[in-house]
This record gives sequence, structure tokens and C-alpha cells, in this order.
Amino acid sequence: MNHLTRRTFVGSVAGLGAAATLPAFGQSPTAEPILKKAIPSTGEQIPVIGLGTWITFNVGNDEKLRAARAQVMQTFFDRGGSLIDSSPMYGSSEAVIGYGLARIKNRPALFSAGKVWTLLKTLGVNQMEASRKYWGIERFDLMQVHNLLDWSTHIQTLKEMKAQGRVRYIGITTSQGWRHGGLEEIMRIQPIDFVAFSYNIIDREVEERLLPLAAERGIAVIVNRPFQEGVLIDRMKHHPLPPWAGEIDCANWAQFLLKFIVSHPAVTCVIPATRRVDHMEENMGALRGRMPDAKMRGRMARYAANV
Amino acid sequence: MRSFPFTAETYLSLFAAYNSTIWPAQVVAYGLGILAVLLALRPLAAGGCIAFAVLSAFWLWNGIAYHLMHFLQVNFAALGFAALFALQGALFAAMAIGGRRSFRFRPDAFGWSGLFFCLFALVAYPLLGWLAGHGWPRAAVFGVAPAPTVIFTLGMLLMLEGRAPLHLAVIPLLWSLAAGGAAVLRLGILEDWSVLLGGLLGFGLLVWKRRQSSAIIAATQ
Repeated sequence: MNHLTRRTFVGSVAGLGAAATLPAFGQSPTAEPILKKAIPSTGEQIPVIGLGTWITFNVGNDEKLRAARAQVMQTFFDRGGSLIDSSPMYGSSEAVIGYGLARIKNRPALFSAGKVWTLLKTLGVNQMEASRKYWGIERFDLMQVHNLLDWSTHIQTLKEMKAQGRVRYIGITTSQGWRHGGLEEIMRIQPIDFVAFSYNIIDREVEERLLPLAAERGIAVIVNRPFQEGVLIDRMKHHPLPPWAGEIDCANWAQFLLKFIVSHPAVTCVIPATRRVDHMEENMGALRGRMPDAKMRGRMARYAANV
Repeated sequence: MRSFPFTAETYLSLFAAYNSTIWPAQVVAYGLGILAVLLALRPLAAGGCIAFAVLSAFWLWNGIAYHLMHFLQVNFAALGFAALFALQGALFAAMAIGGRRSFRFRPDAFGWSGLFFCLFALVAYPLLGWLAGHGWPRAAVFGVAPAPTVIFTLGMLLMLEGRAPLHLAVIPLLWSLAAGGAAVLRLGILEDWSVLLGGLLGFGLLVWKRRQSSAIIAATQ
């Protein structure tokens, strides 16, 4: 794996601006270019807004609800999205993703991010194969060990799969601030491409150690729970957006919160989850326009803390 | 605190699919439930065996048909729930085969409470669900869905003759606390307040009944 030097790290961050000058990804409804960031280990660029599926895509076999989620996915792709993240832990979410993918019209490239969440090598291999079938894809772009569960076993399997070309990237995840010490240790010793953890404008502990470490080690960062599962949006929506939000092209709180996250130099992508098309449209608005600089980020954090 | 893996919308949609799949098992369940209550009101020689067999059938059905075949779609923990429900079903089956205990309604605090719990599960719980907007087919139906089955079970145990077997009430209590609490607090299923409170009250009454039985036995020795 190519580890990130300070020079390449700065280049990666600068790449955000460079990517924004590229033609729009997929069938963008606007001519404005979308924001992408580079995966440090390869330089491959991905849009900074992805799609999470925890809770929202776990709708069982209900045809109406599945069709509604397929519409959310259609909007995601239409607005330039690419990375979708799920896990066997999310109930029927993987099957619902597969249902949606089979119905997306004019689908641009999917960046599939799956997870393995079980004990033992054999069970892990079987679970990953089952997930692949649920999604209806040839292979996963990214396979992650979910919540560090039996990570030392699965990381070996994932390394083998990557060497065989059965997965392009490997990673490890946690959420809600769990086991950050263990995650940090793995990031220091394992050649992983991605790491995922929770980060938002209020929960900023990862800025101290994990984000700098990811930058230092050349590990792409996926951020989960950007809205604290809706709690932050509920809290903010009763207050007006600051008038200066227009300076970073934010029209709503979702975009304000998402742009704060993806503007951190070490963050590659954020994966908000939603079950509503209008919310998806709001989220995907953060994929365009001006991004906050360090000074603006500080202003945003201070404002959010006082809301 | 880790959030729930699905929404109320998904939960109710699951019940709609489940109810249409198993129809007319709900009618059979009501028939069996009424039979069990009648056997407590008008005891027969083999009434205890039959009533325990009914309870066993309810719990096994909930474990296999509901948890394993439906709920597992949206909640990985359903595998563990299925095992617990099957265990409870096996305990009731053992009681049915043993044939040493019978149900008998007595007009005391425990008998009236037991009868109230049973009637609540059969009549009031579905009405509360309907009032909360969870009517058919999205309803948790008596005998084939865990919540009313748990309330009914505690009611029947309160009408069991002799010392209350607390080991038969542990899983119902745990379920009422865990699932009832989650349904109320996480999904906003307001009728499940009755499961949460019913579990605590029912188990408390069983403990009280057991103590009373022990005191009577001690006094007669």
C-alpha cells in the first residue's frame, strides 16, 4: 500500500478542489461539477457524499417500501452519488440494495462498500458471498470488517481476497465512538485502505487522533452517523441557518452539517442515510458548490455548538 | 445508546406481510386461547395438559413462524429470540406431558388478575392497537404474535393451581421488558406499554402468589 506522505496528503486535499473542476459524475441535474476526493492508496477519486443504509433500507420484503428505497437510490445516482455502504447486520438492507440496483436507470459506476460481521473465517467467507449475491454484483469494491468483530481473522481473508482481485479495497469500521483504541492500533499495523467511524459537527473526538493518523498512514476515511441518526437535524431545524451559510453554498442544515465533515482534509467521504427522496436531494446538494476552509469550519462549529 | 435496526414503518409492514401469510392461523389461535381460558373456568380432567399444550403451541409458533421465518428478515437478534421462544414452548410441552398441574379460576386477587390478563390479550390489546392506528393487517395478533401471547401466558400462569412456577415466567418477563420497552421507546408502539407494565405486574403477582402458597404450606405443617 502506498502510505501517505505529507506531500501526497496535501495533494489529496488539494485534489478536492481539482476534482471539482472535472465534468460532473454521472447524469448530474446541474452543470456544476461535483466534489470528489482521492482514495490515498490508489488516487482513485470518489464523490464525497455516499449513501448509508443502516435502519433506512431495512424494510424486509415490502414491495412498496422497497420501491420507495429504489427511488432514493435513483435520486442518489442521478445527483452524482457512487458509494453505497451496507452490512449483513442491517437486516434486509443488502437485499433491498440489490432490488434497487436492478431497477436503477442509466446507472453510473457504483462503488460498493460491504462489510463482514461474524466470527470465524468460514462464516465470514460465506457471509461475504451471500452479501455479494444480495447486492447482485460481481465483486465488492470495498470490503470492511464491521465493528472490529473477529478482525484479526477477517483481515487475513480480506488481504487474500485483495491479492486475488476479488475485492479492490479493504477496511475496518466502528461507530458511535466505540473501540477507538483498538481501531487506532489496527490502523497503525495493518495495510488497510479504508477506515470508517462516526464524526459530526458536535462529536469531534476523532479530530484528535484518528483523523490525523488516517492522513499520516494514507487511509481513506468514511464517516458514518453525520447527523447522529437525525438528532442533529432535529435540533438544528428549529433555528435559522446562519446568513453566511450562503458563502459555502449551503441551502439547508443537512448541507451545512455534511460540508463541515467532508471539508476536513482527512475525510474522504460521508455516508448519510435516508429513506426520503427530498432528504436525499438535500444531502446531495452538499456534493456541489464551495467548501469551507479551516477558518469557516471553526465558525461553523462555534455556531452549531450554540444552537 | 445503539439505535434500533428498523423503523416502526418496517415493523408494521412486517406484521402485515406475516398476517397475510399465516391466515387463517389467527382464527385458530383465538379458538385455542378461548379454549384454554374455558378450561381454567370449567376445569376438566385433562384440562391442564390441554391448556399447557396450547401455550406450548403458541410459543413454538411464535419462535419458528414469527421470529425465525419473518422477524429475522429485519433483525439478526431474532435468531436468539426464536431459541428463547422455542425453549419456553418446550417447557410448556414438558408440563403438558407431565400432566400434574391444572388450571382453575379462583375468585381471589390472582384468579381475577389472571382472567383480566387473558381477556386483555384477547380483546383489549387488539383494540388498543387499532386505536393507535395499528389495526388489521398490521396488528400483532393474539397467539401468533409475541406481545399479546406474553400477556396471555402470564394470565394463565396466575390461574395455575398451587405454587406459581416462576421458572415458567422468566422468559415472558424478559421478553416483556426487552421487547415491550424497545417497542414503546424506540418504535412508538404505544399499546406495548401494556406488555411492559403487564410483564412486571404479572411477574410480581406470581412472586406474591408463590409466597402466599409457601406460607400456607408452612402453616399447615
